[in-house]
Amino acid sequence: MTLQVCIMPPDRIFWNDQADEIILPTNTGQMGVLTNHAPLITALDIGVTLIRSNSNWNPVALMGGFALVKQNQVTILVNEAESAQTIGVDEAEIAFQEAKTKLEQSQGEKQRVEATFVFKRARARYQVVKQLGV
Amino acid sequence: MQALSCKKALGSVQAFTARPQTSVKRANLQVVAVSIKEVRVRIGSVSNTKKITEAMKLVAAAKVRRAQEAVVNGRPFAENLVKVLYGVNQRLRVEDVDSPLVAQRPVKSVALVVVTGDRGLCGGYNNFVIKKTEARAKELEGMGINVRLICVGRKGGVYFRRRPQYNIESTFEVGQQPTIKEAQAIADDIFADFVSQEVDKVELIYTKFVSLISGSPVIQTLLPLSPSGEVCDINGNCVDAAEDEVFKLTTREGQLVVESEQVRTATDDFDAGLIFEQDPVQIVDALLPLYLNASLLRSLQEALASELAARMNAMSNASDNAGELKKSLSRIMNRKRQARITTELSEIVAGASSV
Repeated sequence: MTLQVCIMPPDRIFWNDQADEIILPTNTGQMGVLTNHAPLITALDIGVTLIRSNSNWNPVALMGGFALVKQNQVTILVNEAESAQTIGVDEAEIAFQEAKTKLEQSQGEKQRVEATFVFKRARARYQVVKQLGV
Repeated sequence: MQALSCKKALGSVQAFTARPQTSVKRANLQVVAVSIKEVRVRIGSVSNTKKITEAMKLVAAAKVRRAQEAVVNGRPFAENLVKVLYGVNQRLRVEDVDSPLVAQRPVKSVALVVVTGDRGLCGGYNNFVIKKTEARAKELEGMGINVRLICVGRKGGVYFRRRPQYNIESTFEVGQQPTIKEAQAIADDIFADFVSQEVDKVELIYTKFVSLISGSPVIQTLLPLSPSGEVCDINGNCVDAAEDEVFKLTTREGQLVVESEQVRTATDDFDAGLIFEQDPVQIVDALLPLYLNASLLRSLQEALASELAARMNAMSNASDNAGELKKSLSRIMNRKRQARITTELSEIVAGASSV
């Protein structure tokens, strides 16, 4: 018995595969889902989800959304999803540092809101490539 | 590719009036004192233009197919989102929803998101949207409401930038196909604007894809969202989020036609035992930005499809015009050629008879 994980950004189906375990970055902390989990719906923050097949952990950066778990089917709808293959290590690190400084220097409500988004996304991407490097 | 528009080709026919000859009207042919060689050159240039416009039409037709696939690919996301939105909404009362995106405030400032194309040669497409935007901006300013523009697409950006009475907040270019990255960038901008209370309402002006022949620009209210995900236009007509119209480009009797069908997503109740990891209100909070992104992307895709259809029509008309022009120019050339032969013959005959 395995989980069927389906990750969907608005324009396509990003991932539709079987997995043994998935760790979701919810608004209220990291949450693990194994097979035969009770039906559940949760909001997801911008962060990294880890999907395990046998003993391989695959990190995927998710840019916010929600997840629905029902009868071993995990449906994840997000604004955008990126896996390690499409993220360059160096540019992710540079982008992360830039976003951090911009957030610290932002002034005014609107700038702060925008800068927070950019920072969180850069951080999610950076965490994905860091995971693989480890 | 040389951008020879057929408008330019016709324009140079009028430019012929700069020379000491009369211009050519298609209906009545006047004798033009232009050499045969020049007319031949003209015919060559018009045929080239015709080839280009025909090629552009075919390219646009191929791209409409791709645009349509993009809409179809986005359907699983949209369906799932609507199902969950309905299910969650049943668990809470509308008054409880606290998301900043549904906040209704007295309107003092409005942001208009204007969707045009990046390139021209698409008939009236860009112009209709621009005129509608100008009318709406005038209407709002007449009510004492501050207006700012967010221009998506180079044509709109260029037009409004030249007019200093419009306050342009930002411009975006769309490129070949609207992707979620671009939709996200625009959504981020309006999200930040709305949440920081710099604007109280965000309206979207784009061209809905109605048929291959006509598209109509509409004005939709993007923000504030309705918690049940209804899509409303400025007159307050709302469409259920579960109903959707899908368009399909097919051929019927050798002509390209667009068929559209209404689909309704089945929205069943949620499992009674479904655990809400967070408060339903928090979950709706997470759903609404997703909904904003998805509907913005969908509107951009539709606008692109309309632009391609408009370009197909414009280029088809241009090809037809070029064909007609070529015919009338050929006729002129043949007449002149025959006239020249006749004069030569009559000279020879006159010379021979005087001997």
